[in-house]
Amino acid sequence: MAILIRRLQASDHVDGFDCADAPLNNYLKRHAWANQDKVSIGVTHVAVDEGAPQTVIGYFTLAMASVPRDSFPRKYVRGLPAYALPLVLLARLAVDHRFAGRGLGHALIAEAFRIALRVSGEVGCRCIVTDAYRDRAGWYERYGFVPIEGTSEGPSQRMFLDIRTVRAAVHNP
Amino acid sequence: MKANAKSKQILAAAHKPARKVKFQADIAPADGLTMRLLKEELQLASNTDFLSDALALFRWAVSERKQGHQILSESATGERRVLMFPRLERVAPDLALPRVEIEWTKRELHSLAKLASAAEANRPTEALIRAMRD
Repeated sequence: MAILIRRLQASDHVDGFDCADAPLNNYLKRHAWANQDKVSIGVTHVAVDEGAPQTVIGYFTLAMASVPRDSFPRKYVRGLPAYALPLVLLARLAVDHRFAGRGLGHALIAEAFRIALRVSGEVGCRCIVTDAYRDRAGWYERYGFVPIEGTSEGPSQRMFLDIRTVRAAVHNP
Repeated sequence: MKANAKSKQILAAAHKPARKVKFQADIAPADGLTMRLLKEELQLASNTDFLSDALALFRWAVSERKQGHQILSESATGERRVLMFPRLERVAPDLALPRVEIEWTKRELHSLAKLASAAEANRPTEALIRAMRD
């Protein structure tokens, strides 16, 4: 099985996608293409098997965001750049449950890291932020994401990964 | 006379062919078979010729994609197929991602500021290093 990861296309088959999570299935089937093509609020990258190159078996969605400098507590402002803090939001990441356990999630998040690194070099990005399901937070922690404290009660935990850590991983001997 | 000899030496050095780069690769048996078949189809006598042509093709594809051009084939009936190759997408110019607004609680902003203002970032984990190498 040779996997390709590329941007979502209008002609991709997404109807059969099932990651066993209704909101994530629904996003891919109903919103991902429109959000990418029409309103431009997120770019979705999909994993496909070379043998069936239009059938989506995994995906992630990225967007840029920023936090205004004056919204941070004063005691930390000195250590931050004199501008809004730019970040890449890993908005969604899901794998079809029929392809789970084959390293597809690893391949997808690796591609998301590469894109974030390129973005940091082209337009600036200080960190990667994601809202992980609480029961999946451990998986993100393996890649170095740390929980952001103070996330309100709910199914997700907001997490942070410094782009310098990602860069260091590339240059690791 | 001396100056003439020196300039001759310089000229000779300039015309000396650059040292050839040796290249060795372990490829999967299936890829080896594909390579052999391609060599036969293209009537290429050696691996060197094969690699040279493959490089030329790859260099062209990268340069086209860098300019934002799509690479496609068109059949006699006008049917078009676009080449999608993830590594080529890495050089495509449309890098900027769309921008969204995120809601933050006060405590989250406090925590984010603390993390983002750290003088040194955390060391990469094994999984992250592996992800960037794969």
